[in-house]
Amino acid sequence: MSAVKLDLLLETQRLERCPFPIPVGWFFAAYSDSLSPGEVRNINFLNQEWVLFRGENGKAGITDPYCPHLGAHLGHGGKVVGDNIRCTFHHWEYDTEGFCKAIPYAKVMPPICKKQPVLRTLPVVERYGMIWAWYHPKAEDPQWELPAIPEMEEPGHVKPRRWTGSVNTAIQEVAENGVDNVHLKYLHGAPIVPPTEAWFDGHTMRIDIGHGYIIGDMYGPGLNVMRFTKDGVTATMVSYSVPITREKTQMNMSFTYKDYPQGTKERAIAEHLVAHSIGEAEGESSAGFESVDMIVWNNKKYRAKPLLCDGDGQIVKYRQWFKQFYPGLETSEKI
Amino acid sequence: MAEVRVTNRDGSGLALDAAEGRPLMEALRDAPTGVEGTCGGECACGTCHVYIDAPWAAKLPPRSEDEQMMLEAIGELVEVRPTSRLSCQIRMNPELAGIAVEIGPVP
Repeated sequence: MSAVKLDLLLETQRLERCPFPIPVGWFFAAYSDSLSPGEVRNINFLNQEWVLFRGENGKAGITDPYCPHLGAHLGHGGKVVGDNIRCTFHHWEYDTEGFCKAIPYAKVMPPICKKQPVLRTLPVVERYGMIWAWYHPKAEDPQWELPAIPEMEEPGHVKPRRWTGSVNTAIQEVAENGVDNVHLKYLHGAPIVPPTEAWFDGHTMRIDIGHGYIIGDMYGPGLNVMRFTKDGVTATMVSYSVPITREKTQMNMSFTYKDYPQGTKERAIAEHLVAHSIGEAEGESSAGFESVDMIVWNNKKYRAKPLLCDGDGQIVKYRQWFKQFYPGLETSEKI
Repeated sequence: MAEVRVTNRDGSGLALDAAEGRPLMEALRDAPTGVEGTCGGECACGTCHVYIDAPWAAKLPPRSEDEQMMLEAIGELVEVRPTSRLSCQIRMNPELAGIAVEIGPVP
């Protein structure tokens, strides 16, 4: 017998469950209608605490919690004053870009206050009724814009049905299931392994599962628009997962479709497509994401060098594509 | 130690010993000169403003961008001259022994 590859047998002793940093991208922070002008709220995501506020002008901001002056927490006692957030300690004020706009007792503002932001903030936009934050580990500006999603932004569609849940793994692992068509049969119990294609272009990835049955468009790690189409009727699942920590991901989804009149065949198909995607469809044995994926995600380790076989599809290409969201780690062997 | 000859804001004179390798501001702050050095050397407060005697001013390295900006900022409220410096940005060394400075006005 030839010598065994001992490294392979012992590798899991060294593997981490989640070796990834927080990736670059736009991430869901909160629903727009949950934050009123003048409101301040502490939120946990992207591996730290942040302070979310909305100025009287309606503009939302997300800042690092700790005042650049003497480190007080802006989200404990801080108030919105005009369009700025004001620290409770000495009433220094900051705008949504992190510039210091007022120090009530200083005769001369420190020059750096005019030159650059002194408080870290995340670039924020509001789309689809949601507050989105751009994350980059070195605070670089957004590298792409969020796409138009007509189903979420134009009239004539049903009020989105929302789902949210939490999973104990990294966001890259959650999205990897999108290109893993084989697990749809064996884990979810789909009748066949659906044929799947994937295309990668810059920060976007498109997958086609079942020759057009599901078209998924991913825009960086934090937004995935999946359209389920049957008999000419399309239901849309907008998925906006967000890393809470490096090992915990909050999954969020909104389901909508064209507002077909009650009682029509089209509406029934659309409703069925939604039910199918969340595993609630009558008379189907296939399970949705809510149940069966969790047992895998919550317990797995990430193998950077997986043992793959011929039917495993595009997993390696997906991982190569995802590496662009970890600047500086493009050649890391751990991810 | 390097000797520093100081002219106070009231015109009185003072001689100090400043530690080499340390900012001039610290020696001024720790003596009765009225220099506060509030920000600790970050070019953020302007309270260590001094006028350097012209022959000595020419021997100093030029102002950094941060120092320049702070001097411009206080220049809107007090007189800033070509020989104005933030003393926190002047690191003492043997070549500066005997330097003569006048404590400048601050906002």
